[in-house]
Order: sequence, then C-alpha cells, then structure tokens
Amino acid sequence: MKRFSPSPIFLAYVAALLLFALVSVYSPGFANPAHVGTLVTLAAFIGIVAIGQTIVIVGGGIDLSVPWILNSAAILVTALAHGQNWPLIWIVPLVLLIGCGIGLINGIGIALLRVPPIVMTMSVNVITQGLLLIVTRGFPPPLAPQALTFIAAGKVGPVPIILFVWIVLAAAVVIMERRTAFGRYLYALGSNRTVATLSGVPVIRTTITAYAISGTTAALAGILLCGYSRQAYLGMGDPYLFTSIAAVAIGGASILGGTGSYLGTIAGALVLTILNGVLPIFRLDAGALKIIYGLVILLAVFIAAPSLRELLQRRRGSK
Amino acid sequence: MSTLATLARRHSWLPPLIVLLLLGAIIGILRPSTFTGDQINIKIAAAMTLILIATGETIVVTRGGIDLSIGGILSLTTAICATRGDPGLTESVFWIGFVLALGAIVGVVNGLIITFGRLQPFVVTLATWSILEGCALTVLPAETSGVPKSWVDLEHAMPFGIGVPMILLGILIVLWAWFSRTRVYNEIRAAGSNERSAYLNRVSVLGTNAWAYGLSGFFAAAAGLYFATQTGAGHPTVGTQYVLPAIAAVVIGGTNLMGGRGSLMGTIVGAFILTLIGDVVFLLKLQSYWQWVMSGLILMLVVILTALTESRSNSGNGG
Repeated sequence: MKRFSPSPIFLAYVAALLLFALVSVYSPGFANPAHVGTLVTLAAFIGIVAIGQTIVIVGGGIDLSVPWILNSAAILVTALAHGQNWPLIWIVPLVLLIGCGIGLINGIGIALLRVPPIVMTMSVNVITQGLLLIVTRGFPPPLAPQALTFIAAGKVGPVPIILFVWIVLAAAVVIMERRTAFGRYLYALGSNRTVATLSGVPVIRTTITAYAISGTTAALAGILLCGYSRQAYLGMGDPYLFTSIAAVAIGGASILGGTGSYLGTIAGALVLTILNGVLPIFRLDAGALKIIYGLVILLAVFIAAPSLRELLQRRRGSK
Repeated sequence: MSTLATLARRHSWLPPLIVLLLLGAIIGILRPSTFTGDQINIKIAAAMTLILIATGETIVVTRGGIDLSIGGILSLTTAICATRGDPGLTESVFWIGFVLALGAIVGVVNGLIITFGRLQPFVVTLATWSILEGCALTVLPAETSGVPKSWVDLEHAMPFGIGVPMILLGILIVLWAWFSRTRVYNEIRAAGSNERSAYLNRVSVLGTNAWAYGLSGFFAAAAGLYFATQTGAGHPTVGTQYVLPAIAAVVIGGTNLMGGRGSLMGTIVGAFILTLIGDVVFLLKLQSYWQWVMSGLILMLVVILTALTESRSNSGNGG
C-alpha cells in the first residue's frame, strides 16, 4: 500500500548540501554560524507551513488556503495580545483552534460535499482574506509580544530556539506518517481513493483530519512568523503558498498523492531557503530567483516522477 | 423541478447566468444609470482581461488539466509591451505578433513537458509560472507606463460608439462557436473526459495537450496585450492577481474541473459575475473587502450545487 521511494528524498538532501557547500566555498561568510542560524530559522517557517501541505498532498489534495490562515493567525495573535506576554497562554491555543477550524471547513467541503480541493481551499482563502480585512479595516495591529519574538528569533548559544520546535514537530510528523493508522490511511487514500474506500479506510475522517492539521500548522507558522518579524502585516502569508507547495514538490512527493514524506519536504524547505540566500551573493534580483525556483522545481519533479522507471516497468509488465 | 434540473445539467451556464442576472438587477435598482451604452462598454472593458485569460483556462480545464502559468505569461506580455519605446506600424505588427506567438509557444512547451514527463499540470505550470514571472521582472523590474501610445489609442477607439472590448467579445464568441465544432476541440474534450479511452480511439495525448496549453498561452498573451493597452502600463507582477480568478471564472461558469466538459459562455458569465461583485459591494456601501468574501461564497456555492446535481444524475442514470 505504501509506495515509498527514498531516492528523491536522498537526492533533495544531496542537492541542499551541495548547494550549501558550493556557495560557502564561493562566499566564506555564508557558512558562519550566525548566518546558518538565520537560514535555518527561515527554513523552519517554510517547513512548518509545509507540514500541513505535505500531509494534504500525500492524501491526494492540495491546500491553497495556507496564506490567509497564516496571516489571520498572525494578526489575531498580535491584536489580542496587545504586546503583552501573559495572555498568550490562552491566545495561542485559541488561534491554533481557529486555524484548525478553518482547516475543518476545507476538509468538510472536500470530503462530504465533494468540492474539488483547489476550488474549496481557494474560496476559503479568499473568504478568510476578506473577513480578516473587514475586521481589521486594513489597519496594522500592534507589535508582537516579546515572548513570541524570543521563541521565533531567540537563540540558545548559536542554535535558534525555533530549530528545536521544528525538530520536535518534524519527529512527530515522521512518526505519524510511518507508525500510526492515520499515516497508513493517508498514503492509501492518496494512492487510490476508490481502493482505499473499499479496503475500509475511513476516507472522510482522514481527509478532514489532514486539512485540519494543515490549518493548524499554517496558524502556528503565522504565530511564530509575527514573532520573528516583530509585527503582523497584511500579505505576510502570500509567499508561503508557493514555497510550501514547492518544498513538497522538491522533496519528492507527487502532487497526485500517495507518495512522499515530510523528510523530503524538510530538504525542500532547505533548498528553497539556501537559494534565496544565494541571491545577494551573486547580485541577482528577484526575477532571477523566480526563474531559478521554477527551474529547480521542474528538475525535482522530473527526477521524482515515475515517468521513466515506472513507464518501463509498466510496459514490461503488460507484455 | 426535474425539467429545471435537466435543463441546468444540459446547459451548465444557465445557473451562473441566473446569478449574473440577479447581480445585474441589484445594480439596476441601486443605480439605474448603469444600463447605458457607455456603462456597458465600460463594464465589458473591465471584465475583458479576465474573460480572455479565462478562455484559455477553460480549454485546459476541459482537457482535464490546469494552467497556472497564464499568470506569468500575462505579466511577461505587459512587461514586453511597456518596453517597446515608440514603434512604427511594421514594428507594432511584429511585436504584437511576437507576444501572441510567445504565449502560444510557452503554452505548447508546457504541454510537451506535461506529456513527455508524465507530470502533474499543477506543478509543471506552477514552475513555469515562476520562471515566466521571473522573466517579466527581468524585462521590467517595476511597474511603469510606457506602452506605445498608438497601441493604447487603438484599444480606446470607439468606432460607431462600440468599444474595442465589445468588438473583441463578439469576435471571441464567434470564434468559439467555430472552434467548439472542430475536430481539435472534440479531441480535447474526449481526452479530458477519459484519457485512456481517448488514446485507444487514436486521440493523441500529446497533440491535445499541445493544442490546449498552446491556446491557453495564446489567450493569456492576448489578455496581457489587452491589459497593457487598457492601462497603458507594464505590470511585471500583475499575473498573480489573475490566476485564481481565472480558475474561479471557469468553475463558476460550470466547466467541470475533472475535464471533459467546458463552456466558454459559462466562463464569460463567470468573469462578469466576478467583475460585477465589486460594483454591487460599492453600491451597497460595504467595505470593499466584502468583494473577496462574496466571490468566495459564490464560487463555493456554485461548486457545491454542481457536485450535488452531478451525484444525483450519476445515481439516477446508472451509466
């Protein structure tokens, strides 16, 4: 049931390491601990949003509502906390719950009402954006509480605190993928919905859970990101739509679902962040970055695609 | 009731047309002066970019795919238009032909990558979108006016009190009436509804993909040309604002995201709905952000209704 091929993931890590090594040789400052810390922190934000995106994509869907769930979470946290630390005890769980709730709406629309994932999550994204702008009237909220900034931008020695958060989450996701019933259901669902239904996979529950997790991780990323940038602003989530999907694709998962692992997505997030950091060194502009991002994604999906190997196998099998 | 449902199923653009008429009625009551020749010309002019870009998307979605790269083509086209200086007649003809051909070629390349790599259209066109947007930013790093004055004048001409957009719309509808009867379109539909059986009936997977994505690229370039001459400026990142609305217009128009069935009339109606929602929100004196919420809700509503009628017709017909 679980079609798991490690080679694209391995290649993604090799690519990240090679890229890092090459740039470090060219520009020695790139590898200094402070800069690596910044890179890891930026990768962690992509990585955390991409937790949900990976789970949803493995299950055969896609989540386009990530940007404004993230943005809403950031704005809600700063607006409710008014720069104070102690109310975070109830605000953070509340905001995570709201993210989870929006994800639930996605899941219900897709699993029960059979709305195509692209359309459902796209509408939810637009509606969330509209409601958030109506509530805030487009005004920026106050500064983020110190405690959030500490978690998102603080360091223990040279190691960013957010790296610990990311490692814990990553471990949980990988264990969930491999050791839990939900993980097995997810791969089964992504491989073939009909077969999954017939073999007794709780398709509806699995789909809804996947989108609920995605809403929660997007909200978590929003909370941490406003801590990092010390404030929430409108549009802060927009880049994460592209990067979260790109990280999953570079990590070797098929958008068709049923394959891939969060381990690959981590490598994808690292590749994207290192590429972003390379630009100023080679004096490249935003346009060049977009071109490179596109080429890297194409290359990654070509390598990960079943096109060559499976095509040959299928031909052999049918003859 | 059942005849109504049958009618709605046979002419998938009827339900959105009813929504459009309702919106029109609301606007007519709130501001009766809307229905003058001038105002109608203005409304068509406002909707035309979306109509053109969504026309291509309709063909791709009918083919069972999706095209996100149209955003990049739109951006790149406006960027090229805004950097042409002051061309003479021959040059103008050349450059207009050039951008349209470029769009078509880029689209065909999308089709080739998707077919030969056996890759998911979503990821491939996400990557090419990024590449094209990068090219647009390289050609024109920031928004500037500079579209040749003669082109702008031509687009704003009003022969016999009829605006160029209305003439374009007429041409588009006539062309579609012809195109939808051609062999190419029928093969696109067949391949979209069931690629395997279409292939067995000698429909070329490669050919239909090349045609569908090529036309999508062509229409995206046409939309870019129109947008540039309409605003007189190049916008290297404007495409981002049109990708999701284009898909939304297609879906609201009753084209099935699973492929095999499409309607340009529906898409045109969908594009007008999305354009007029802004007017309704303005006339109701709501915050402009309600536009987002309302378009999201209409999109979701249409899709849920389609899903419900479809599941009923599937269980009713039994094949």
